[in-house]
Amino acid sequence: MSVFYERFERHDHAEGIKGRSTHYCPGCGHGLVHRYLAEAIEELGIQDRTIAVSPVGCSVFLYYYLDVGHTQAAHGRAPAVALGHKLSNPDSVVVSYQGDGDLASIGLTEILHAAQLGVPLSVVFVNNAIYGMTGGQTAPTTLIGQKTTTSPYGRDASMGQPLKMAELMAQLDGPVYVERVALFDAKQRVRASKAVKKGLKLQAEGKGFSFVEVLAECPTHLRMGAEEAERWVKEKMVPVFPLGVKKDVSATASWGAWHTPTYETGAVLEAIDARETEAQRFAKGFPETPFGGDELGLKFAGSGGDGAQTAAMLMVHAAVNEGLDATHIPSYGPESRGGTSYADVRIARSQVLSPDVPSPHALVAFNAPSLAKFGPSVAPGGIALYDRSVIREPHALPPGVRAVGVPLSEIAAELGQPLVKNVVAIGALLGATGIFPAETVLAVIRQALQKRPALVGVNAEAFARGARAVERGWGRAG
Amino acid sequence: MAHVDVREKPVLHEECCKGCGRCREACARGCIAPGADINELSGLVPIVLSLDACNGCGLCAEACPEPYGLEMAGPEAEREAAAVAPRARFVAPADVPDARVPLPHARPLVVKGTHASAIGALLAGCRHFFGYPITPSTEGAELMAKLLPALGGSFVQAPSEVAAVNMMYGAAGAGRRTMTFTSSPGFSLMLEGVSYLVGAELPTVFVNVMRAGPGLGNIGPEQSDLKLVCRGLGHGSTHAIVLAPATPQEMLDFTMLAFELAFRYRNPVVVAADGHLGQMTGKVELPRALVKPGLPGWAVSGDAAHRGNLHSSILLREADQEAHNLHLFDKYARMTAAEQRAEELRCEDADTVVVACGTPARMAAGAVTALRAEGVRVGLFRPQTVWPFPVAALLPLVRRARRIVVVEASDGQLEDELRLALSHAGAGGEVPIAHVRRHGGILPSQREIADGVRKAVAGRGVTA
Ligand code: SF4
Ligand code: SF4
Ligand code: SF4
Repeated sequence: MSVFYERFERHDHAEGIKGRSTHYCPGCGHGLVHRYLAEAIEELGIQDRTIAVSPVGCSVFLYYYLDVGHTQAAHGRAPAVALGHKLSNPDSVVVSYQGDGDLASIGLTEILHAAQLGVPLSVVFVNNAIYGMTGGQTAPTTLIGQKTTTSPYGRDASMGQPLKMAELMAQLDGPVYVERVALFDAKQRVRASKAVKKGLKLQAEGKGFSFVEVLAECPTHLRMGAEEAERWVKEKMVPVFPLGVKKDVSATASWGAWHTPTYETGAVLEAIDARETEAQRFAKGFPETPFGGDELGLKFAGSGGDGAQTAAMLMVHAAVNEGLDATHIPSYGPESRGGTSYADVRIARSQVLSPDVPSPHALVAFNAPSLAKFGPSVAPGGIALYDRSVIREPHALPPGVRAVGVPLSEIAAELGQPLVKNVVAIGALLGATGIFPAETVLAVIRQALQKRPALVGVNAEAFARGARAVERGWGRAG
Repeated sequence: MAHVDVREKPVLHEECCKGCGRCREACARGCIAPGADINELSGLVPIVLSLDACNGCGLCAEACPEPYGLEMAGPEAEREAAAVAPRARFVAPADVPDARVPLPHARPLVVKGTHASAIGALLAGCRHFFGYPITPSTEGAELMAKLLPALGGSFVQAPSEVAAVNMMYGAAGAGRRTMTFTSSPGFSLMLEGVSYLVGAELPTVFVNVMRAGPGLGNIGPEQSDLKLVCRGLGHGSTHAIVLAPATPQEMLDFTMLAFELAFRYRNPVVVAADGHLGQMTGKVELPRALVKPGLPGWAVSGDAAHRGNLHSSILLREADQEAHNLHLFDKYARMTAAEQRAEELRCEDADTVVVACGTPARMAAGAVTALRAEGVRVGLFRPQTVWPFPVAALLPLVRRARRIVVVEASDGQLEDELRLALSHAGAGGEVPIAHVRRHGGILPSQREIADGVRKAVAGRGVTA
């Protein structure tokens, strides 16, 4: 029994006899299950790999007893804690030790999903049909008719039927081994000990997730002696919770290989798409505009499929490649699902301060509602560029704002590629404003289409046609 | 080979016997009877053995739930339970230190705030992500799902935020770097776990992309959780450093910093971003080095060196709990002394100090720049840590200033932190405090902030 600590130092600082005896009530089943764990760990030679996760419940102090790695979990969360440990330390053998309130009530979500993931873990579920730690309340596994402090007249069907966890777990695809055992006589105890050991072995060998339910005695809250409690489990619990193997596919199961984290710089840089080469610059610093200052605000607005966000991103990339600062804020949420989609872009010589664009220097509107909504906010001297293919009568714009209608959709359709109308728009925007040289944007397009080079041609053409469709010049007195 | 002829017989350690009778039930030969005398040490009544008929089958010992109650031993065995020496005090092994691996120069990334944060986490050595989708934080999780497999990490979409935070507890307990992305209602669900993490002293990083509440609210940006993350992380005695980024660049930098601080103090760290910043794309420079994490000595693991470690937040004896809490308070005091961070813009001669963090601070920066052009002597003080509040840097400004204008997208949560900090520093009530606030997913605009400052300067105090 070497896996038990020689002295239980954590049990009330091992004062008096506490260094050698458990905190459990006389006859409690937990002590036996602890012993099966200790024996299994020793026999399998896995002491230096084992982590036990203690639950909330009477066995919250499992860590007093076994000389293995320990972590103590919040109520019901032991399988989640176990999973987190296992995934980050795959060589470990992690035991989630839980009672019925913990596992079958408050922690039902955690156990079901951990089981269904199938990650090799060993769950030991001690079902004694009652809440022990909090003083004898109804558990999800309390029997019909059983009196508890919260079912003082006996549990009836209106309080729910006892939850048969082993059967429930056996329904899932994830677990490789599910068995229900008991402790009420010598034969059952041998089976219980074997089942606990098998559950651990399956994890140690990387086979998969196991679940062992143990019908245990809680003499205290049954208000019985241990021997009577053993009989109660045998005669009352077993008919509701039949013993035996509920699922066992362990002979053919295998979890497969684990990943090993890499921190290698090449791998990390590739993953985050970092490029060591500097972007080529084509512009002479911050664009010359009639507005002066160090910042420019642009707004792109349309409906979901118009490509307003992509157009905005092209401009941000262009600005950053030119050594400037830039930001893009998309509209998002329900509005972006088929409704209007708009984007604020700010470009600054050194640093963008306020990133929103309440009055843009240039607006690109892909449809009439967008022009109606944002046209009035365009800054004096700015431009409102819109898709003349779909907006016949431009909305009245503030004085001093230049309206630039370009048949974006028609040009894109002529190119046989309706999706490039946003690139036509960028061409027109640059043509009209000269914010950046064409090469700046063409370089961004090539960069974005690195993996689909066939599309570069049509995009470049879209850009060129957009640029040709407009006359250079910001706002005109109107 | 010596053969022990005499079969082993049960030996009872009376002080460890609880008299439950399970052994009696197991013995077919009637060797075990209920006792009558109370054991002085245990206060219980142990059973009595009379082994004349005993065949040494061992079934009684098999039935005993006490590890040291009843054991089978040869006749010569005279083991004295009380003689077991106390265990030597466990000393955790030394940390395997983190390594910083230099990165080559790379051109700036152009990424949104959540992605910048995810990249920061990867560069900080985080390889274990647990989360639950919630707008507007989800893109961060999505990028982790995309990138972690290539880096040998694990990504789990948990069944709930509750499960996610507990998976983090497991991974952090193993000494690994783990994080999550969430947003206000999701963070509320994680609070139980955060309290346990603080109690068990486990380092974890929470990027909370805050949105408008209460309840489901909406997915617009709000600084709705500042009070929660500064004051409400558990049922008392909890704190975490709260970093408040304002740019995609700071989303990366502060996420990396969050891991460093989390491990330095063994405590969760919250990166409190708002929905706007999460979605905002900007220019992001990569750091000079990435982190290859080591393994802290306190990590739980089964090997003999680490086996004595325990992660738990339960301390049954009140005196133990109090001692632990005092230890935590000492840690919070160290954080408060060492980790205050803030940025100042044009504060040098400001008689109006605007205080704002997160995206509203950028709107405020715009307003300050515009007001300066009008000749208003205004500056921006931007807390980069909301807890601890950077009061040390603010005090000299406050002593010079005539007023403070707090700008925020919440119901005064930042202002409360400011007022508390000033009050504790003995500077409460020294200067009038006005504010500009928006709610419900709307950020204060540059114009509203400038108007608010003008009103405050004109002595018309509080703006709605
Ligand atoms: S209350 Fe029940 S389950 Fe808890 S220790 Fe006592 S007997 Fe065991
Ligand atoms: S060893 Fe067998 S016969 Fe002897 S006391 Fe124990 S159960 Fe009875
Ligand atoms: S089973 Fe163990 S604790 Fe119970 S009466 Fe027998 S020796 Fe004592």
